[in-house]
Amino acid sequence: MKCLSIEQIYLCIEKELPLSENKKIEEHLATCRKCKNALEERRHLLQASENLPLWQTPPDFTQQVMARIFPIRVPLSAWLTAASAGFGSITLAIFILFLVTGQNFSSLLTSLNHSLWNFVRNFSPVFVKLFKVASLFVKTLQQFFEYIIKAFASLTTIISPQVQIIIITIAIILIAFSIYGIKRKIFIGEQA
Amino acid sequence: MSSMNEDKELVERTIKGDKEAFEMIIQKYQQPLLNYIGRTVGERELALDFTQEVFIKTYSSLHSYKPQYKFSTWLFKIASNFIIDYWRKKKIDAFSLDQQEQDNDLPPLQVPDKEPSIVTKFEISELRERIEQSLEKIPAPLREVFVWRHINEFSYEEMAEIKGLPVGTIKNRVFQARELIRKRLEEKA
Repeated sequence: MKCLSIEQIYLCIEKELPLSENKKIEEHLATCRKCKNALEERRHLLQASENLPLWQTPPDFTQQVMARIFPIRVPLSAWLTAASAGFGSITLAIFILFLVTGQNFSSLLTSLNHSLWNFVRNFSPVFVKLFKVASLFVKTLQQFFEYIIKAFASLTTIISPQVQIIIITIAIILIAFSIYGIKRKIFIGEQA
Repeated sequence: MSSMNEDKELVERTIKGDKEAFEMIIQKYQQPLLNYIGRTVGERELALDFTQEVFIKTYSSLHSYKPQYKFSTWLFKIASNFIIDYWRKKKIDAFSLDQQEQDNDLPPLQVPDKEPSIVTKFEISELRERIEQSLEKIPAPLREVFVWRHINEFSYEEMAEIKGLPVGTIKNRVFQARELIRKRLEEKA
């Protein structure tokens, strides 16, 4: 048998040769030092190649991929539900105020407008100052706000639209009554 | 349950909307993919980013997966195409391997009459380090098949399926890669 090719040497090491051919090669290797050395050389190379160190992924790799495939999304329908609930709640609040005060709608809206305007006029200088102070913290609080937004987005996906309507309605009624209460207090204060 | 059937079941569950099933696929294949991509691009951060991209691409293509094929082979085919795109952008020649095979730089697949014993002079641990260094210096398409064979432990048939090439061609590339690494070791010694 003539000397082995590199291909035969590798196939022999990897036990990929047919048995009949393997026997012939073994017989040749027993007599040919050149081929035997070449085989040992490559066997050593393969031995080292099979145990190369493995690169490790970071522990949160799976979560990173999943977050890119399934980002937190607030469905549009949830926002539409919330907006409808807000509009409905304002209408409801005006109706309740109408029942409580006995005023007609136009005077009620006028008085609400006056209350709102007075509120804005009285508190706007304070708000401006507060805004200036708050703006200094914006950069440091940015991360915090991101968490809040994410949490709110998660909440709207968890809470059903019906519960969202109830929560927003209650909140708007409370705000409406608070405005009315402030107005009454101011009115009593003016009388005194 | 065999790994192949397990993969198919995970794919089916993912298509039906089970996110946990795809998480299991990621956990199972993240390290083999990172080791393949990492060894072919050479930079850890880039490799991590590419591995993520491959999983995203896999997820979006799951509907086109045919269960008669092995999932790991299909996944690595996606990864391989991704790497070829990267090589193309980097203007690394990924296609002219036939030409490279004729290149004088590639060692002949015959044992020379006076071959020096290089590899056996090194201890295994030192040899591993030198192989890693030499691996970076061989042509990218040869590096790819070397990594598949020795790190991902693919059979020649699996590699042939991934690349869509005859088994003989793949074997030849793997042998060329090994011989070229050996040649690099010889130059350094």
